[in-house]
Amino acid sequence: MLWKKMLRDLNEHKGAYIACMVIIIIGLMVFTAFSMMLENLQLSQQTFYKNQNFADGFASVEALPFTEVKKLEELEGIARIQGRFVTDVRVLFPGREDNVYLRLIFLNADEQNRINDMLLLEGKPLQEGDMNILIDNKFYEANNLGLNDKLEIIAAGKRRELYVSGVGTSPEFIYALRTAADFYPSPESFGVAFIPLQTLQTLLPDKNTFNDLVFTLEPGVQYDDVEKLLEYELKPYGLRSLIPRDDQTSHLLLSEELTGLESMSTAVPVLFLSIAAVILYIVVQRMIEQQRGQIGILKALGYTNKETVFHYMSHTMIIGLAGGIVGTLLGIALSYPITNLYQMFFNMPLLKGEFSTAYYFIFGILLSLAFSLSAGYLGCKKVLNLEPAEAMRPPTPPGGKKVWLERIPVFWNTLTVQGMMSVRNISRNKGRSLFIFGGITFCFAISCFTWSMNDIIQKMIFDQYEKVETYDLKISLAAPLAEQRVLGELRTFPGVRQLEAMAEVPVTLQNKWLKKDVQLLGIAENSGLYHILDKNGREVAPPKDGLLLSERLAMLLDAKPGTMLNVESILHGSGSWEDKKLPVAGIIPQYLGLNAYMDLHALQEFLEEDGLTTSVMLSMDEGTIPRLQEEYRQSNLISNMDEKGERIRKLNEMMESFGSMIYLYSLIGIILGFSIIYISSIITTSERSRELASMMVLGMTPPEVLSVVTFEQWFISILGMAAGVPLASLFMSGISMAMSSDVFTIPPVISTYSYLMAAAVTVLSIWIAQKFAGRKIRSLSLVEVLKSAE
Amino acid sequence: MPGLKLTSMIVCPRTMKGRDETVKPIITAKNLCKYYKMGEVTVEALKDVNLELYESELVVVLGPSGSGKSTLLNIIGGMDKATGGELYYGDTPLHRADSNQLTFYRRNDVGFVFQFYNLMPNLTAYENINLSVQIAKNPLSIDELLEKVELSDRRDHFPSQLSGGEQQRIALARALAKNPRLLLCDEPTGALDFNTSIQILTLLKDFCRTYEKTVVIITHNTAIAGIANRVVYLKDGRLDRIEENQNPLPPERVTW
Ligand SMILES: Nc1ncnc2c1ncn2[C@@H]1O[C@H](COP(=O)(O)OP(=O)(O)OP(=O)(O)O)[C@@H](O)[C@H]1O
Ligand SMILES: [Mg+2]
Repeated sequence: MLWKKMLRDLNEHKGAYIACMVIIIIGLMVFTAFSMMLENLQLSQQTFYKNQNFADGFASVEALPFTEVKKLEELEGIARIQGRFVTDVRVLFPGREDNVYLRLIFLNADEQNRINDMLLLEGKPLQEGDMNILIDNKFYEANNLGLNDKLEIIAAGKRRELYVSGVGTSPEFIYALRTAADFYPSPESFGVAFIPLQTLQTLLPDKNTFNDLVFTLEPGVQYDDVEKLLEYELKPYGLRSLIPRDDQTSHLLLSEELTGLESMSTAVPVLFLSIAAVILYIVVQRMIEQQRGQIGILKALGYTNKETVFHYMSHTMIIGLAGGIVGTLLGIALSYPITNLYQMFFNMPLLKGEFSTAYYFIFGILLSLAFSLSAGYLGCKKVLNLEPAEAMRPPTPPGGKKVWLERIPVFWNTLTVQGMMSVRNISRNKGRSLFIFGGITFCFAISCFTWSMNDIIQKMIFDQYEKVETYDLKISLAAPLAEQRVLGELRTFPGVRQLEAMAEVPVTLQNKWLKKDVQLLGIAENSGLYHILDKNGREVAPPKDGLLLSERLAMLLDAKPGTMLNVESILHGSGSWEDKKLPVAGIIPQYLGLNAYMDLHALQEFLEEDGLTTSVMLSMDEGTIPRLQEEYRQSNLISNMDEKGERIRKLNEMMESFGSMIYLYSLIGIILGFSIIYISSIITTSERSRELASMMVLGMTPPEVLSVVTFEQWFISILGMAAGVPLASLFMSGISMAMSSDVFTIPPVISTYSYLMAAAVTVLSIWIAQKFAGRKIRSLSLVEVLKSAE
Repeated sequence: MPGLKLTSMIVCPRTMKGRDETVKPIITAKNLCKYYKMGEVTVEALKDVNLELYESELVVVLGPSGSGKSTLLNIIGGMDKATGGELYYGDTPLHRADSNQLTFYRRNDVGFVFQFYNLMPNLTAYENINLSVQIAKNPLSIDELLEKVELSDRRDHFPSQLSGGEQQRIALARALAKNPRLLLCDEPTGALDFNTSIQILTLLKDFCRTYEKTVVIITHNTAIAGIANRVVYLKDGRLDRIEENQNPLPPERVTW
C-alpha cells in the first residue's frame, strides 16, 4: 500500500525529482567517464613506459665520442645509458610552403632492448646499413605517408632521401612538441624518426659523436643521487642540459593532464552529487512537513518508525538508484569516445580491455545511493521523534516577523507590499535561502573565473606578440656566431627594415638552495623589436649591471631586487664552471615563458664572449619573409626560423580547444544556477500555494504573484553574486598557482569583462528557471487550494 | 424545466419597492452548469442555475453540504469557469472571458472573504490590507477601514498575533479596501463564535448599505438568512427556490 503512496508522491514532486536525477546523472557520468579514462590512460602510460624502457633521465651534450658511453654505464646508480645523435632536419614536401621538421634520432640499430624504443606498429624494425627510417605514426598519418615512401630532407645543406620502412610510437614523444615554446603538437609539421647510426656519417659528414644521452636508474636509486656524478662526468663534453624524467616535456605535460583529470573526476561529481543531495533533502523535508497528519495516522495505525522512515527514504533511494544506473551507464558509454579524443593529443597505444567497468558501475551506483540516502535520512529523521498525537495536530502556523532591513527606511519604503513579503520570506526559511545564496555564489564564481581565464590568457598571450615581441621573424642560429657577421649579412637582404642581434643563453640561476634553469635573454639597448614591460605596461631598459627576472622566476628563486644570484652558464667563454654572481636589478611580469633579461653587450661581457649572438630578430616588409626563408632554408647555420604570424595562428588553434573547456565550465555554472532556482521555485510555490492563491483571488496577475517569489530570489542572488566576487578571485589564484608553469604564467586577476559575462550567465540561468517555474503558478487551481483548511 | 420556471417567479426587489422595471442586474446567470468528470462518473455540481444579483442587495445562499454553493460563488467571482450556460457581469459575458480578463474582473470588481482567513502570514494587518489597495483603482482608506473593523491599534500586528475573529475582520477589510461592487463571502462566520459572527455580519450589512454594494453570503446557518434581502436555496446543484425578506433584520437582532 505504501508503495502506491510512494509512487503518487514521486509523481507529485516529479519536477524536483527529475531535476535532481539529471544532476545526479551528470555527476556520475563525469565520474565514470573520467575515472575510466584516467585509469585507462594511467595504465597505458605505465605499460608503455615499461615496455619501451622509458628513460629516467635525459642529458644533452656538445659532443661525446661513441666509445665513452660504455664507461658511463659503470657509474654507480646508472642501470643503462644509451647515446644518440639528435638533430632536426627540414622535410621538403612538394608543393608545401610551410616549414616541416623531422627530428632524426640516430641510434645503434643493432642494440637490443633500447631505452625509449619506438613501439613498432607497422613495417619492419630498424636495420643498420641502409637509409631506412622508423617514423612516428602521427606524422605518418598527418602527411598521408605510406610504407617505403621516400622523404626528401635537407641535411648539411644537401638534399637527401630517406625511406620509410616502419611506423612506430615513442614514449618520449607522447606529447610531441618541437620546442618548449610550442603549446600544441602539430603532427603535420613536426615528426620524429629513428635512423641507424651508420647513416650519420653519410648525412652529416662532420658529425661523429653523440649529442644526446638517455639513461635508466638501478632500482631504488633516485635521480638526485646520480645528478652530481653525471654532471661531473659530462662537463668535459660540453653538457647542455641534464634533466630527470619529471622535467621531460612530454612526460611533464602528460602527467599534468592526468593530475588535472584526476581532480576533475572527483571534484565535479562530488559537487553535483552534493547539490542533488541538498535538493533531495529539501524536497523530503518539505514533504514530511506537508504530510505530518498522514505520518501521525501511519503511526497511529501501528506502523513502526523504521517502516515510516523507510517509506520516506525509499523516494530518495529510487532517485539515487535510477540516477546512479543511468549516469554510470552513460559514463561508461562515453568513456571510450573521450579516451579516443585524448589520443589526438597524447599519442600512445591505449590498452584495450574491460578494465574495471563493473567496479565503476557498482561504485558509481553506491556513491549515488550514499549521497541520496543520507540526504533522505537527514530529511526525514524528524519523523522518528514525532508522536502520533502531536503529528496529527497541525503545525504551528508560520508567524510573521520583522526583519532588520526594515530599520533602513530608505530601502524599506521603496518596496511594494510584495517586496516586503519577499524580504521577510528570506528569513522565513533560512536553510533554503542559504542554499540559493551558496548555489548562486558558486555559479557566479565558476562562470567568472572560467571567462576570466579565457579572457586573460587571450590578452596576455597576444600582448606578448603585439607589445613585447614586435619582430616579424626570429632566426635562431645553430651555434652562436659573432654579432657583426650575422647582422652584416642579413642587413642587406631585400625587405629587411630593422634587425637586432639577441642572445638566448641557457643558464642555471641559484639563490641559496633554490635553483632554476632558464634562458637568459640578452636584448640590445634601445631595442625596437623586443620591449620589456613593467607591471604598468611601461617599457624598461634591459639592465647593464644585473638581471631582470620574471615575477614567477623571482618567486621560485625567492629573489628580490638586490638579491645576488649565482649564474652558471655552459656558454661561458672561459669554459670554466666557476660560479659568477649577478644582482637582481628588477622584477617584471611575464606571462609567456620564463626568462631573465639583461643588456646584450653587458651579457656578452659577463660571459667573456665578445659579440656572442644566438638569434636575430627582424622586422620585414610585408610579403618578403618567404623569400628570406627560402634563401636560408638550406643553411646549416640556422636551426629555426620562427615567424610570428604562424605562431599566432597556432596559438589561436590552442585557444579554440581551450574555449570548449570554458564552455563546459560555463555550462556547469548554468545548470547549477538553473536547477537551484528551479527547485527552490517549485518548492516555494507548493509550500506557499495558499498565499499565492489568495493573491490571485485578490486579482493579482500571475506575474505579479510570481514577483513575490522572484524578488526574493533576485535579492538573495544579488547578494550571492556579490559574494561570488571574492570566491572567484580565490578560485583564480588557486588555478593560477596550479596551472602556471615554465611555459606560461596565469596572472591571478579577473577582468571586468569576465565579471559582466558571469553576471549575465547567472542572471540568464535564474531568469530561465523562473520562467519555467512560473508555469506552475499559472496552473495553480484557486478553488482547490483554498477549499481546505491549512 | 424547474429552473426556468423559477426565474420567471423571481421578482426584482427594486421593483417591489416601486422602482423602475428596467433596473439592470449586475450579475446575470443563465442555465449555469458545472460538471466534474471523474473517470466514468460525472458529478453535476451545478445544474441549470438561473440567477440575477442587483446593486446594494444582501443575498444569503443556503443549502445542504455539497449542494453547490461554493461552486456557484466561485464561478460568479471569476475564480472558476462554468461548464455550460451564460454568465454576465453587467453586459460583459464572463463565460467567454479568458483567465487574464477574469484576473482583472477579480481585481477591479470582486472582493472575497473565506471561512479560513487566508491572510499573508508575514504581512502585518495594515500591510495585508495594503496588498489589495496597491492594485485597486479607487481604493478606500486603510486607516478608515481599520477604524471600521475596530482594529486600528493592531495595525502592526502579524496574523499569528491576532485571534480568529480579528483575522477575519482584517480579511474583510482587505476585501473591502479595493472598493469592489461585489463582495462574495463563503461561510465567513463558519469558524467563529456567536459574538464575533454578529460583528462580522454587522460589518457586511453596513458595507452593503452605506456603500451600496452587492453582498453574497454563503452559510449553513439558517438564522443568518434573516438579515438578507433575498435568500437563495440550493439543492443537489439546482436552484430550489428564492425567498424574499420584506423586512430584513438588523444583524444585532439575529440569534441562534
Ligand atoms: N474538484 C472537484 N472534483 C469533483 N467534484 C467536485 C469538485 N469540487 C466540488 N465537487 C463536487 O461538487 C459538488 C458541490 O460542491 P461545493 O463545494 O460547491 O458544495 P458546497 O455546497 O459548498 O458544500 P459545503 O457546504 O460542504 O461547502 C459536491 O458534490 C462536490 O463533491
Ligand atoms: Mg462550500
